[in-house]
Amino acid sequence: MHPNGVDLRREAIENRSGTWHTMATDFTRRPSPPQAASPVAVPTSAPRDAHDWTGDMLAVARARDRASFMRIYDHFMPRLCLYLRGLGSPDAVAEELAQEALLRLWHRAAQYDPQHGAVSTWLFRIGRNLHIDRVRCEQGWVQVLDEAIPTNDEELARPFSAAEDYAEHTRLQRRIQDLPVIQARLMRMSYFEAKTHQEIADELQMPLGTVKSHLRRAFLRLQGQVRDQP
Amino acid sequence: MNPHHHLDPSTVVSYAAGALATEVAIVAATHLETCAHCRGRIEEAERIGGQLVEQQQASAAVGRLADLRASMLHRLDEPTPPAAVPAPRAAPYEDDDRLPTPLHPYFGASYRDLKWRWMAPGVHCIRAAGTKTGTLLMLKIGPGRSMPVHGHGGTELTQILRGAYHDALGHFAPGDVADLDSDVEHQPVTVPGAACICVSALDAPLRFPGWLARKLQPLFKL
Repeated sequence: MHPNGVDLRREAIENRSGTWHTMATDFTRRPSPPQAASPVAVPTSAPRDAHDWTGDMLAVARARDRASFMRIYDHFMPRLCLYLRGLGSPDAVAEELAQEALLRLWHRAAQYDPQHGAVSTWLFRIGRNLHIDRVRCEQGWVQVLDEAIPTNDEELARPFSAAEDYAEHTRLQRRIQDLPVIQARLMRMSYFEAKTHQEIADELQMPLGTVKSHLRRAFLRLQGQVRDQP
Repeated sequence: MNPHHHLDPSTVVSYAAGALATEVAIVAATHLETCAHCRGRIEEAERIGGQLVEQQQASAAVGRLADLRASMLHRLDEPTPPAAVPAPRAAPYEDDDRLPTPLHPYFGASYRDLKWRWMAPGVHCIRAAGTKTGTLLMLKIGPGRSMPVHGHGGTELTQILRGAYHDALGHFAPGDVADLDSDVEHQPVTVPGAACICVSALDAPLRFPGWLARKLQPLFKL
C-alpha cells in the first residue's frame, strides 16, 4: 500500500467529478517538487474490474452483431475522446477521430484475434495512429509505426487462452493502480500527453536520466519483473 | 539476425505511447524491423496504453455523445471500405542493397544510391532532410577507426546496419541498437574489415570534450 494511499483516496473522493486525466493535466500546470505527494498518482477510486470484451468482439466479428458493437462503443467512445483530447486535439477533432477508430473496429472486426490482445489495446493503437497521422503530419511516421509491428507474427503469438489473457489483463490493471506516485505520473505524461523524455525532464526539472529510469522501472514493474518499494 | 543490444524499456514505453521525437522513433522502428524481442515488448507497452485509456474515468458529456452515437449507428450501414492492401514486406536485409523500410522516406531504398558527404577523415555522413526537431543522421565510418570521445546532451539512439564497432558498452553488430543515456560518454571504435554504417537519431547536439574535439565539432556540424 502506498504511504499516501489514504490521502489519495480522500482526494479521489473529493475529486470524483474530475477525471483521472484532467486531474493530471491540471496538476502539471502547477509546478511542484516531483517527489511531492500528488493527487494524480493512482486512480484510487478503484475502477470496476476490467470487463472482458472478447465475447462482444467475437459476436461483432462473426455475426456483425450491432448490440455487441454498441456496448463496446458506449464504453470506449468517451474514453477515446478523453484520450485524444488529452493529446491535444480540439473537441471536434477528438470526437471525429474516436468515431473513426470505432468504425474501423466495426469494419475490421473479422481480423480480430482474441489471443492477440485486448479490444482496448486495439483501440489504443488505432486511436494513437489516427492522432499521429492527423497532428504530426510528418512523412511516413504512421507507416513506420504500423509496419514495424506485424500483428500476426507467429513468433509473437502468445500461447494464452482468452481466460488466461483476461487474468493477465486484471493483473495489469492492479499493477497500474499500485504504481508509485512518480512512476504513475511519468507514465501518464508519456501516454496521455505524448511528452518526450526531454519534455518531461524540462517540465519537472528532473535530470533526463532520472526520467528514463522512472519509466524503465514503471514498465518492468507493470510486467511483473520488478517489485520495488514505493 | 539476432540482436543482442535492445531498446531501453523507457524507449519502448515512449514509442508505444507515440511520444518519441520523430527522429528517435524512426531509428527505433528500424531496430524493430529486425528484433522480435523488442516487438514483443512494444506490444506489452501498447497493452498498458489500452489499459490506461480504459481505466480513465470518463465523464459523460451526455448530449453530444447521444448525437455521436446516433451518427455511428447510421454509419454501421456504410459499405465496408476495402482493406488497405499491405505493402509487401520484404524481409529486411534479404536484399543486400535494400535499406530498412522505415528509412526509405528519408534516405531512399538503396545503399548504392546513398549520396555520402565527407565529414572527417574516414567518416562520411548523410543528414536526413524533412525532420523537424532533432537530427537524423546516417554515418559511414571506415574500418578500424575510432570516433572522438563524446557524450550527449540528450538522447542518442543508434542502429547498426552494416559492419560493427565496439566501445565500453560492448560489441555492436548489424541489428543491434545503442540506446544511450545522456550521462554516457563513449568512444566507438569500428572493427577492421568493413566500414560500419549506422543510423543515429539525436535530440540534442553531441558534446565532445577537449580542445581537439572543440575544433572538430564545427566540422561535424552536429
